[in-house]
Amino acid sequence: MPLTPETLPRHELVGLDARVRAGANPDLLGIEGCVVTETTKTLGLQGADRVRHVPKEGTTFEFTLSSGEVVTVEGRRLVARPARRTEKSGDSKWR
Amino acid sequence: MDTETIARERIDRLCDLAREATVAGEDARARNYVRRARRIAERNRLRLPREFTRFTCDSCDAYLRPGLNARVRTRDGHVVVTCDCGEQARYPYD
Repeated sequence: MPLTPETLPRHELVGLDARVRAGANPDLLGIEGCVVTETTKTLGLQGADRVRHVPKEGTTFEFTLSSGEVVTVEGRRLVARPARRTEKSGDSKWR
Repeated sequence: MDTETIARERIDRLCDLAREATVAGEDARARNYVRRARRIAERNRLRLPREFTRFTCDSCDAYLRPGLNARVRTRDGHVVVTCDCGEQARYPYD
């Protein structure tokens, strides 16, 4: 039972396919790719030619799980040090 | 689900990701994954899986692929794994 929509905000995001669905910055809209790096405030998505760093705050991400499920998460819920996210984010409010 | 289970799963996932990154030639990325897995284990007071401890370098955090960035030699009573950075790790036959 690895990685379900409920646990996603507390689980490892690296390796998932993600897409920017909505955000404060219109230039980031539609960026998609495999998540390769994570920092406290950004996610790095592997694009065709380079890694694109997208701020978590103010962005809505769409993650595709290995089961094919698509989970939409507000980036704000993911703002935390990567190793601490597992402990910090409490109940999931995924949609 | 409780934090400990998620932490264990994250460590396993990062272990696989580090291996894939090393095979793909993304050494720096693999190191970051290994470091993150170590950090998660440390924070949650979990023991790292044996596969993880045997196939990562204690000194430079590289994920070790024998033949690619590590040499494995069998000696009397133990195995010696040498990382490209020069660090040697030994473990017994068992």
